[in-house]
Formats: sequence, structure tokens, C-alpha cells
Amino acid sequence: MTHRLRLRDFSGYAFLLPYLVLFAVFLLLPLAFGLWLSVMRYELLSPEPPKFIGFDNYREAFGDPYFWKALWATARFVVLTSPLTVLIALALALGISASSPRRQHIYRLLVFLPTMITISVAGLLWRWMLSTDFGLFNAYLERFGIAHIPWLTDTRLAMKSIVLMTLWWTIGGPVVILLAGIKQIPDVYYEAAALDGATGWKRVLHITLPMLKPVLLFVVVLNVIGAFQVFGQPFMMTAGGPERSTFVLVQYIYVSSFLNYRLGYGAAMSWILFALISAFSIVQFRLMKEK
Amino acid sequence: MAICLIACVFTGFTSSCDRVTGASDVTTIRFWNGFTGPDGRTMLALIKRFNRDNPDVNVVMQRMEWATYYNKLFVAGLGGRAPEVFASHRSALQRFIAGGFVRPADDLLGKNPDQIDPDDVDANVLAALEQGGHHWAIPLDVHPEGMFYNRALFRAAGIVDEKGEARPPTNRAEFLDAVRRLKHDRTAASPQTWGYVFTWDRNEVYSVMRQFGGKLFDPSLTRATFADPRNVAALDFMASLVRDGLTTQPQGPQGWMGFRQGRVGMVFQGIFMMPDLRRDTDLDWAAAPLPLLGDRQAAWADSHSLCIRKDLSGKELDAAKRLIKFLSDNSLDWAEGGQVPVRKHLRDSDRFRAMKAQYEFSRQIPYITYCPPTEFVFEYLTEFDEAIELALRGTQSAQQALAGADVKVQQVIARYQRGGSSQQHAEAR
Repeated sequence: MTHRLRLRDFSGYAFLLPYLVLFAVFLLLPLAFGLWLSVMRYELLSPEPPKFIGFDNYREAFGDPYFWKALWATARFVVLTSPLTVLIALALALGISASSPRRQHIYRLLVFLPTMITISVAGLLWRWMLSTDFGLFNAYLERFGIAHIPWLTDTRLAMKSIVLMTLWWTIGGPVVILLAGIKQIPDVYYEAAALDGATGWKRVLHITLPMLKPVLLFVVVLNVIGAFQVFGQPFMMTAGGPERSTFVLVQYIYVSSFLNYRLGYGAAMSWILFALISAFSIVQFRLMKEK
Repeated sequence: MAICLIACVFTGFTSSCDRVTGASDVTTIRFWNGFTGPDGRTMLALIKRFNRDNPDVNVVMQRMEWATYYNKLFVAGLGGRAPEVFASHRSALQRFIAGGFVRPADDLLGKNPDQIDPDDVDANVLAALEQGGHHWAIPLDVHPEGMFYNRALFRAAGIVDEKGEARPPTNRAEFLDAVRRLKHDRTAASPQTWGYVFTWDRNEVYSVMRQFGGKLFDPSLTRATFADPRNVAALDFMASLVRDGLTTQPQGPQGWMGFRQGRVGMVFQGIFMMPDLRRDTDLDWAAAPLPLLGDRQAAWADSHSLCIRKDLSGKELDAAKRLIKFLSDNSLDWAEGGQVPVRKHLRDSDRFRAMKAQYEFSRQIPYITYCPPTEFVFEYLTEFDEAIELALRGTQSAQQALAGADVKVQQVIARYQRGGSSQQHAEAR
């Protein structure tokens, strides 16, 4: 019995091994290396050789106005994008699941289609459509006598425009996940509710949403993590402008590490972001569990 | 299964590497560059021709988008795995020199048949690649900023010469007059048109600053002079175009889109944007040197330059030199894609004169101005961009914006100065 158990354990580990090796080589080691970098002055272009400096990079980040501006831009993006994505995705998933199976295929395809476009193409397309004087949106609005809207050139509007584009581009993923979750709910619950005289909305509130909780948690956590890591949309559409209003933290990390070759400083900011994402994820898990 | 897969991948890699380097009579060299647009196809055709004409050499070209390319090149260089030949903008070259993996290219210049005659290259372009008594690269081209203008809009506004042809402005008064006359509000029959819009404000403002006599650094490149009164005056002049309603706030590349839509009279852009216009067959456009907006001629420019890895020797070095000479000798083909050759005898040819836009832009070569060559180029350009944006958008005055940038760039300089000069750094490597 013991011998058989050991063999089973061993074969389990053997199956896990390829993934564990890749996980260690491509995730754990870079993470540890990043942590080491973050306490070093490691600047590829500086005449100074790499040197251990303790928490100086972290101190520099907390005293750097560009870091705070980037963090603020990221926070605005997360706060604007995540709730909207989840709510709209949920609404779309509920709507699609209520339609006939044949139509579901078409709607699902239509909603998911933008997700398949690369960010460079989607970013360029939206940058042109939202251009103040030469874009598609304002050209149509002009026909109705509406003055040009500075979608991407106004510090108050630029981030909202990026959020709009992000919703269009990313909504397909959460919709498909939620649809799969809805399909997993056994019909018996709805049948029992129907016998008790529950109407459509009551069924959604008292059966669908509670049963969807684990899937919703997954979507929320995934979305918040993704939103914290936003880079492509502002990079392609505004390059962080106007006046750094859309200059997000990952872009600052990219610029510091890969344009200015300040690897230590970039790594420190990456670890701060990692800590933030971890903290938010833990809080979200706890909140959802409590309910 | 996974182990088998990994083993297969490694085996595959090894055998494919053997195929590339295995033939003993053929010297294989790698040539990396960032020519991913139409220019990449032109370069690939040149490389194929070189390989055909030189059966003892096999050049393997790899192209990547410039930002990715520079990162990979730098990391490869530091790790001793840089390609034998690589392209760099002159503005980025200093970083690779500081990285210590560029070989001086002095022996490629000379009067021998296998060398490039230095008298055949514009002295100012060649000097831009010189540092510490060495030429670090061979310039393949120069791509200056110039003016593209919409001839149809000019004719419609009555800005024409005695033959009735569109007449581009050559000085400040003519420029401002054209900007005013070309600007029209939207009507029921036609969309709004602008005389001038910003398309790449960094280079536009830099050209004008140099026309006003300003510079971004002192000659030793150890003190930022962004807030020099001449720079302030130049930036304020450009900001006044927005302030006075003569142009829109900068919209980045969308301004260029406006020109392509036929709704903008003039833009200042690099010659490399010309392939875009070739596709717009319904756009009646032409090119001209930048108008004189300050008190002296100047136009921003950069150059693609060809570099050799530091430790190259023997057959590889010979192959690398032959490749660079070949590309330089055939840079008229390269020019077709929207570049200006730096070899004077090529520019004197009828074929080059027939390339109208390139020819017009090439007239500025005597007074082109490169961005200051420092290894912290992207850091100071970030601050420069920010100052320009703040001033053009009217958030700060030109004086305030440039003074703010001055302070920040000085901090960057101080950081780089810790522990010695970049030259010492390069030598130490």
C-alpha cells in the first residue's frame, strides 16, 4: 500500500515536473533576480559599476513625482475600467445566454472579435478614430453640429477615452468566461424557482448571481490584475500624454528599464506594483469569501 | 513528453545553427537593423544582391522594430553576442560607444578602392560620427526634416508664383502669411483646413530653436541650457501659433494624418515619411526646405549609420567592411525609399535629381543639425518633450517649461557623472 502510494506520488510529481521546471526558470528565477536588481544600482549606461544600495531605489521611487503621477494614472484606469468591464460583461453574458442557441454563437463571436485584434492595430485604429481634428468620431459629430471633442488631447478626457477603447477591446474575454459559468448552473434550480413562481429578474438575483460567484471572483481578480498592468493602450494611443495624464506605471517601468537602462530602479517599481496587485487580489478574495 | 519536446527543440536549434555556419568557405556575418517598414524590403533586396555578388560571404539580416531592436542589440552587445554589423541612428550611437562594443570605422575611410573616400561624404555628417579622434560608424544616409506642402491648397489660397504654381514659404513672414491664408473654417461644402499643424513637435521645435541660435547643452555636454533665451524665444514663437489660433494643439501623428487627408497646407516632417505620400495618389503634394523662421538656417536631421562589432578580425572583419562599402556605394537604391545619400557623387547623379522630394530635402545638408550626442539621449528627450508639450498646450510659459526641464536634465547629468565619463566607461569595458 505504502509502496503503491509512493509510486503514485512520484508519478504525480513526474507529471508536474515539466511545468515546475518552466515555472521556476521563467517565473521564480526572474522574480528573484528582479528582487536582487531592485536593491542594486544597476544602470547599464552609467560609468558606475553595479552596487548594492539597499532600499535606495524604493526611496527614490517614493520621492519621484513621475512615479506618483504614473501610479495615479494607473489607479484611475483600474477604478474606471474594472467595475465597468465586469458589469458590462455580466450584462452581455446574461443577455446572450437568454437568446436562442443559434444566435448565441453569433453574439459571442461578435463580442469576442475585437479581443483577437492585436493592441498595435486596435490602438492605431482608435487613435485615428478619436483624433480631435482629423478623426472619424468628431467628423460624424460635426454633422450634427456638435463641436469637436478633444478625446485624446484633454487631460480630463484622455484616460476615459482609453477606458472606452479598452472596454471595446477586452470585453469579449470576461463575457465568454461568464457565459461558460452561466451554462454550468444546473437547470433544476431554475425549474424549481419557476414552480415557486420566480420571475426572470428574481431568478437572476437569487440563482444566477450566487451560483456565478466563483466565476465572478475569477473575472474580477483577473481584470483588476490586468488593469494594473495596462501598457499597450496608452502607449499606442497617447504615448502617456497629454501632460502625462495617461502615463501609467508599467510604461514608466518600461521607459526606466528599457530606454534609460536603469534596471535597478525599474525593478524596484515593478516590485512595488507587484505588492500592490498582490494586496488588491488578497483583499478581493477575502471580500468575496466573506459574502 | 515535455523533456522529449525540449530535446527536440534543442536538437533542432543545433542542426539549424550548423546549417548556417557549417560551410567552411563561406563567412557568415549577421546584420541587424530596425528597417521594418518598406525600407526593410529595399535593404533586403540589397543584401540579396550582396550575397549574390559575394559568394564567399553570407549576410544574414535580422530586422526588428527600432525600440525592441535597440534593447536586444544593447543586451547582446554587453553579453558579447552583438551582430558583426549593425545599424544605429546617429542619435543612439553614443549609447553603444559607451557600451564598449563598437569598433572604430576609421580604416573604412580612405582613398583605396576598397575604402570610402571621406571627401565624397559631407564633412558635417562625417563629423557627427566622430568622437575622441575616431569615426565610430559609416553614415548610410541622412534624413533631415523638411517641409511637405499641399499644392492644391496653396493654389486655392492664391499662394502661387508667376507661373501659377504653388509657392512654398521661405521665411517667417511668408510662413505666417501662408498659415493664415490656408486656414479655413468648415463650411457646408468643405471641411476645416489648417495652414500648418504639428506632426512631431520635438523635431519641429528643435529645428526652430537651432534657427534661433539656441542649443540644449554647453559644448562639454555637462550643463543643460534648455532655458537659454534663444530656446525660449523659439518655443514661444511655436506656442504663439497655437495661442493665436493659427494651428491646433499638437496631436502627434494625427497631424500627419490630417495632411494626408488633404486638410493641412504645410507640415514639417522627416523625409522618411515620403513613402506614405506616394500611396496617396490623389494628394497633390511637394517638398521644400524648412522656411527660415529664426535668424539662421537649420533643420533637424539624423542618420542611419553602419557599425562593426569591436572584437571582429580576419575574414569576418573583411566581410563586414565589404558589406558596409557595398551598402554605401549603393545608397541611391536606399534613397528611393525616402532617404538622402551622404555620398556626394551619388547626389550629383541625374537619378537622384529625379527624386524630387529627396533632392529638395538634401539642399539642407549644409546646415542640418543633429540632437546632442549623449548616452542619456532618451532621458533628456523625455524632459524636452514634456517642456514642449507644456508650452504648446499653454499650461506653462516657454520660460517656465524649459527652466523646469533644465533642472531635471541637470539631475540626470549629475547621475551620469558619478564615477567618471562615459568614455572611461567604454574603455574599461
